[in-house]
Amino acid sequence: MPAHNKKLVAIVDYGVNNLHSLAKAFTRCKCEVIITEDPATVATADAIVLPGTGAFQAGMNGLKTRGLIDSIRAFADTEKPILGICLGAQLLLNTGNEFGSFPGLGIIDGSVDSFPTLKPGHKVPHFGWNGILSKGSPWNGSLLDSIREKSYVYFVHSFIMNPKNKKYIFATSEYGGYEFCSVMRKNNIYGCQFHPEKSGIVGLKIIKNFIKIIQA
Amino acid sequence: MKNIRIIPRLDIKGPNVVKGIHTEGLRVVGEPIKLAEKYYRDGADEIVYMDIVASLYQRNLDFDLLRSVASEIFIPLTVGGGIRSIHDINNALRAGADKVAINTYALGHPEFLKEAVRTFGAQCIVLSVEAKKINPNSWEAYTDGGREKTGINAVDWIHQAVSQGVGEVFITSIDADGTRKGFDRELAQAVSSVAVPVIIHGGANSPSSFLDILRDCKPDAVAASSIFHYGVATIKQVKKYLAKNNISVRLK
Amino acid sequence: MTNKSKTKYGLPEKVIFCKKCVISNQRPSSTVEFKHVKKERKETIAFGKDGICAACRYAEYKDSKINWRAREKELIKLCDKYRGKDGYYDCVVPGSGGKDSAYAAHILKYKYKMSPLTVTWAPHLYTDIGWKNFTNWSHVGGLDNILFTPNGIVHRLLTRLAFENLLHPFQPFIIGQKYTGPKFALLYKIPLVFYGEYGAEYGNKIKENEIPTMNSKFYAHNVTLDKLFLGGVSAKSLLASKKISLNDLNPYLPIPKKEAEKIGIQVHCLGYYLKWDPQECYYYASQNTGFQANTERTEGSYSKYSSIDDKVDAFHYYTTLIKFGIGRATYDAAQEIRSRKITREEGVTLVKRYDTEFPNKYFQEFLDYTGISKEKFWKLINTGRSPHLWEKTNSGEWHLRHRVSSSNNE
Repeated sequence: MPAHNKKLVAIVDYGVNNLHSLAKAFTRCKCEVIITEDPATVATADAIVLPGTGAFQAGMNGLKTRGLIDSIRAFADTEKPILGICLGAQLLLNTGNEFGSFPGLGIIDGSVDSFPTLKPGHKVPHFGWNGILSKGSPWNGSLLDSIREKSYVYFVHSFIMNPKNKKYIFATSEYGGYEFCSVMRKNNIYGCQFHPEKSGIVGLKIIKNFIKIIQA
Repeated sequence: MKNIRIIPRLDIKGPNVVKGIHTEGLRVVGEPIKLAEKYYRDGADEIVYMDIVASLYQRNLDFDLLRSVASEIFIPLTVGGGIRSIHDINNALRAGADKVAINTYALGHPEFLKEAVRTFGAQCIVLSVEAKKINPNSWEAYTDGGREKTGINAVDWIHQAVSQGVGEVFITSIDADGTRKGFDRELAQAVSSVAVPVIIHGGANSPSSFLDILRDCKPDAVAASSIFHYGVATIKQVKKYLAKNNISVRLK
Repeated sequence: MTNKSKTKYGLPEKVIFCKKCVISNQRPSSTVEFKHVKKERKETIAFGKDGICAACRYAEYKDSKINWRAREKELIKLCDKYRGKDGYYDCVVPGSGGKDSAYAAHILKYKYKMSPLTVTWAPHLYTDIGWKNFTNWSHVGGLDNILFTPNGIVHRLLTRLAFENLLHPFQPFIIGQKYTGPKFALLYKIPLVFYGEYGAEYGNKIKENEIPTMNSKFYAHNVTLDKLFLGGVSAKSLLASKKISLNDLNPYLPIPKKEAEKIGIQVHCLGYYLKWDPQECYYYASQNTGFQANTERTEGSYSKYSSIDDKVDAFHYYTTLIKFGIGRATYDAAQEIRSRKITREEGVTLVKRYDTEFPNKYFQEFLDYTGISKEKFWKLINTGRSPHLWEKTNSGEWHLRHRVSSSNNE
C-alpha cells in the first residue's frame, strides 16, 4: 500500500499526453497523485507535474481550451514546485518554434528550437538513452540529488529547450556533437527534456527527489 | 557516441505472448506482464508490444492488458496492432504507450500517417514494416501479421512514410523471423540510409549476431524476440558482449 | 423451408454448427473413394445432443483421457518389434514432405531409431514451395524417398472426370495417397506403414479411434473392374472407351487383399501414439527438415503452412465449399480451435473473412490442366450447389444460407 503523503500532487491533463505511466511512476514511489484538467484543482495543489508528448502548438491549445494557461502561470508565481516533462518542460518557455512560431507559458524566458545540424549518423528525433551532465550547479538537494553524472535517461524529442539566461540550464546532454539543455531549473520549477517515468531506476530516483522537494 | 538500444519484442495474441516462424504458427511462449517485467529488470532499453493478430481478426488490441503491462515497466513502450484511427492512437497512449506503431492500416491509407504525426508528434508515430525478400535487393511489404501481399516495395514505402513525418521505423524481416539464423543483412543495409531512426528485427541467434549487424549496417537499434523468449541469451548478456566490443550501450 | 429432395449428396437437411469449433454437420466423413459415384449419400460428421461435433469430442478426449505415456510405450514396443536388423527399411512413411509427414518420418528415424522409406504420391501440379519442402525433406531431413508420379495424361483425365461427375477434382490424388504407402510396402516387402494424422481428429467415427491401425478396406480389397469407380465412372467403361488401358489403372487400384495378408501389412497412424498438434509439427519440421511456410496466406484461408504443395488443392477446398458449405478456412480454423491455438470467436472471424474466397491464383492453370472451359467450370459449380445450402440473390450472386457466427447455435 502506498503511503499517503498529505500534499496534493496534480498531474495536469491537457489532452495530448501519456499520463498513465507517469501516475504509475509516482505511485511506485509511494506518492499519491491526482490527474486533473480543472484549473481550480491546479490552483490548490501543492505541486504540479506538466507532462507531455506531442507538438508545441497542440500542447498550448490543449491548455488553452481547458482554461489552464493562467492557472499554471499563477501557480508558478507561488514558488510551489513544478515539474515539466518533455513537451511539458518546453511549454514553460516563451516561444515554441515548431512548425511555425507559437507562444508558450513564458514562465522561463527562452525558446524551443530545432536541433542544429548534427554529426553524420545522428538522426532527429533524438530517440534513446543519453547521459546527463552537470553545468556546475550542485545537484544535492535538488531534483538530481544522488544521481551520478552521466547517468542514462530516456529522451525522445525533435526540439530542444533554449533558456535565455544560461543560469537556468541545470544539466546538459550531448547528442551528435551538440550540447543541449536536458534539465532547466528556476528555483522550484524544473523542466526535464527527458522522461523520468521512462528512465528506469534512475528516472524513479528523480521522481522520488521531486517528491522530497514537495514535502520539504 | 550514439547509444544503441536493445529492444525485446512481445507479440501478443489474446492474453499471451506468442512467437511464430516466418510469422506463422503462433506458439504461446509466456505471459505479457511477466515477460515485460523480466526484460525491464534485465536492462531492456525499450519494449515493443505488438498485437500480432489484431488486423487479421479485424479487432482492436486489448487496452486493459496493455495498461497492466505498462504499469509494471518504467522504460519506453511502443505499441502496435490494429491501429486504425486517431482514436486508437489516443487510447493506446492513454493506456501507457509512449509510441504507437502502425502497419496494415497505413499501407492502405498513407495520409493517415501525416494526420497522426500532426496530432501526436513525430516522436509518437512509428512505422512498422514486415518485409519479405522477392528479388536480390528487393523486398515486398506484407500486412495482417505477415499474411497478405501488398505488391508494394518495402524500402520505397519506408521512404514515403518518412516523408509523411513518422519518427521511427521498425522493420521485421519475414524471411529471418523466428528462424534464429541471423539477421537479414541486406535488408538492414537497404534501410541504413533512412532519415529517421531504424530498428532492425528478425533472426537474432546470439550476442555476436547483434555485433555483426551493428558493425556492418549500423542500425539505430536492434530488436529480438525468439532469442530472449526461448532463453537462448539474456538482454544483459547481449549488452555486456556489445560493450566489450566497443559498442556504446546503456549498462545498469 | 427445405425438403429432402432439395438436399444434394444425402446431406442432413438442417444445418448446425458445432458449439466449440466452426465446422458444420454437413462435413462428410472419409469416403471409400474407389466406390465413389455421383449418387452417393454421404456419411457426415456426428454431432452430440449438446451440439458438439465428434472431432471436438475427440479433442477433449485426447487432452484429458488418453495416457500418452502409455501410448508412446506402445509405439516403442511396435518399433522394437519391427526394427530392421540388417540395415533394410523397416517401415514405409507415405507423405509429401509437408509439415505432418516431415515430422512423422523424421521422428521415427531419429527418435525411435527406425529406418523409414518415405514414399510420395506426386501432387497434380507442384507449387514452388511444395517442391522446395519436398526436396528439403530429403536433403535437410536426411531421409530416403521414392517419388511416384502417375501417367500425367491419365491423371489429368481422371481429374477432369472427377470434377465433372463428382465435383471432386482431388479424387485422383486422394486415391493414390491412400494406396501409395501399402503399395510400396507390398513391393518392397516392408509390412509396417505409418501415416500421420488420425481419422478421428477430423470427425471420423469415434469407434475407429480405439485402435491404431487403419481399416484395410481403405487400401486392400479384391475389386472387380465393374465395381471399381474412378472419377465416378466404372473402370470397365473407362477401359471399354479405350481412354485408358489396364496398365494405366495400376496406380489407382487397391492392393490385393491376399497379398497384403501374406506380407502382413499393417497401416498404423502415428497420431494414435503421439499427441498430434499440427502447429508443433510445423515447428519440428521447420527446425529439422527445412520446411518453410508459404510467404503469403493460402487463398480461401488464413494459414500459410497447411497443404501448400499442390495447385489443384485450392479447387479441392473450393468444391467442398460448394458441396458442403465448408471452405478451407473452416477446416483450418476448426483444427486450430481444437488444438487450442485460437478461440472459437477468432475462428468465426477468420471463416467469415476468408472461407468463400475464390482461388484465383491457379485458376487458369487448373482450367488448362483439366481441359475444362471457364463456362463449363462455372456451370458445374453452380449445378453442384445444394439448394439447402445456397441461394441466389436478385442480383444473381450466390450466397450461403447459413454462416457460422459467434452466437450460432441453430
